[in-house]
Amino acid sequence: MIDVSSALDGLNQLFSSPVALLIIIPGILIGLLFGAIPGLQISMAMAIFLPVTLYMDFMQAMLFLTSIFTGGSFGGSIPAILMNIPGTSSSIATSFDGYPMTQKGEHNTALGIALGASCFGVIIGYGILFLLIGPISSLVIKVGPAEMAAVILWGITLIGTLSSGSLLKGIISGMIGLLIGTVGYSEAGVSRGTLDSVYLLDGIPAIPAMIGMFAASELFRLANTSFLVEDQSARHVSMGAIFAGFKKTITYPWIILRGSLVGVFIGSVPGVGSSIANLIAYMFTKKRDADSKSFGKGNPAGVVASESANSTSEAGSMATLLALGIPGGGATAVMLAAFAMHNITGGPQFIREEKDIVYAIIFANLGQAILLIGLGLLFIPLLANVVKVPMRYLVPSVLVMAVFGAFGLTGNMSGPITVMVFSLVGWLFKRFDYSVPAAVVGILLGGMAEDSLIYSYQISGGLWSYLFERPVTIVILCLIVLSLFGNKVSNWQQRSRSG
Amino acid sequence: MNKNRRSLNGHQLADLAVLIVLADLVIWYFMDARSASGHILNLILILPVTGLTLLLCLIQFIRQFLGHATDTGEVETVKSVLPVIGLFVTYTLTLPWLGFDVGTVLFMALFLWLHGERRLPWVLGYSLSFASLVSLFFTAMLPYPMPMLIFPS
Repeated sequence: MIDVSSALDGLNQLFSSPVALLIIIPGILIGLLFGAIPGLQISMAMAIFLPVTLYMDFMQAMLFLTSIFTGGSFGGSIPAILMNIPGTSSSIATSFDGYPMTQKGEHNTALGIALGASCFGVIIGYGILFLLIGPISSLVIKVGPAEMAAVILWGITLIGTLSSGSLLKGIISGMIGLLIGTVGYSEAGVSRGTLDSVYLLDGIPAIPAMIGMFAASELFRLANTSFLVEDQSARHVSMGAIFAGFKKTITYPWIILRGSLVGVFIGSVPGVGSSIANLIAYMFTKKRDADSKSFGKGNPAGVVASESANSTSEAGSMATLLALGIPGGGATAVMLAAFAMHNITGGPQFIREEKDIVYAIIFANLGQAILLIGLGLLFIPLLANVVKVPMRYLVPSVLVMAVFGAFGLTGNMSGPITVMVFSLVGWLFKRFDYSVPAAVVGILLGGMAEDSLIYSYQISGGLWSYLFERPVTIVILCLIVLSLFGNKVSNWQQRSRSG
Repeated sequence: MNKNRRSLNGHQLADLAVLIVLADLVIWYFMDARSASGHILNLILILPVTGLTLLLCLIQFIRQFLGHATDTGEVETVKSVLPVIGLFVTYTLTLPWLGFDVGTVLFMALFLWLHGERRLPWVLGYSLSFASLVSLFFTAMLPYPMPMLIFPS
């Protein structure tokens, strides 16, 4: 499974020039900064800095871009924990317990835990990739559109059941999100729900909608409070507490391992992986925990599960990119552009002929995880000071950043207007206990779910029997049913045993 | 009828109204998509999701109407949030005319004033410096022009 001579060649390439290692540090810092500011995205950072890679050789370019990816994956958890605004869609589950920890004055511990889980997650994820890149890529190639549609539905069902007080409202939110995600031109060549606006022909901009829904649900409410953490004594930033949180991660080895495995395998599913992996890992951890009712109220295990999964999903999406040449999301799409800029085509041929580069990228990412520990510990205290900023200064500043970031994403006023409209929707959803995360995941993946169903229909010729030829799809559909009714069945069993 | 049924309070009535509006929007979207094309490729996701959503909305409506709705806990008063929402909506809609630079200064200054900051040097100093910094950063970073009134776009 491991080609030792290629691995040694990879190590040799990595250490042959100090430049390759030196560009990792600015890359991680850029990723941390962009991930930590709501409104800025990792893919945006990578796209902005993509032209810089023209002055690098291919391997240096990949190291620079993956270091932005690594820094950004963790950076997204910082606003999720401190402000309940996930910096990226892969940090949604981090906010479920991270933000309640902040409200309890445990923000230092939560940030330390998130850093620890992210770093250990990256190490485990790329370790798995080092050992299993061949088998993973052959597995991914078996994932067809039917499986992708099923995974998307599973993710939305999971998040709907997890993130709302009402199961029905959670699923309604996810379904409405799916419908919003299909607005614009369809495969049939007609436009739906555009209200004759040219801005909506390509659909509703998903990331500005996400920023609006998450930012609004908290920021409008927080505008009338004094500080993020009301208790003044709990507002201090403590390097010791951050480090203690980091060390505390080690006490959750099984949760990290489980989250990492989920992250690598779900993360390798193109387009869906990183948004769903953190939710699935969170759900597994919550269901297996003896104190499952404490989840959503500030249980550190929730942060560990989510962060270990989202950081390893980076390794999963890299496996798909390197082995198949398929980008798993915005960030890996930018990397694919870097492939093209250096006249390299990803895919089976690349992984066969350029194994040394693949191994060098894997080793470099293992190194990045270790560097992230140091840089994260230096950077977090600076960002954690946000709890000391009065809300009347913080709220308008974050709203302004969201508006500027949305303009940056779309290049016209459709971005800021989407933020504004969805901020109102998000506030209403939050107020009436609908699930904002479920709706957001629906919006992000609605178009992809529709495309997957269309491809399945075209491949199957409209025959339902096609489903029975896809055992993985059937397993995922069973998991959906289990996610919906598993709790009810186990409650019923417990009642009948005790009664 | 459920014997435990209670009369609905204002928040619960608003909750029902939101549910009805959501169901209406789902129906409108389905009708719009269907009028565009009834081809299976156009409705392959929209039709089943619309059906499922409306069914769930109906069940939820009955549950809420009978008083089985979940307790949403403490909710902030609308009155306290409306000024913030109004200011944010105005800020976003006036950006093409005021520009991101001037619009942001005004938004931040008004927000600070509305939320009790009465130290004028702080209000003006923070609004001006933050708006200038963010405007300059984004105009330097983005490859396309941003609407600006004072700074070069």
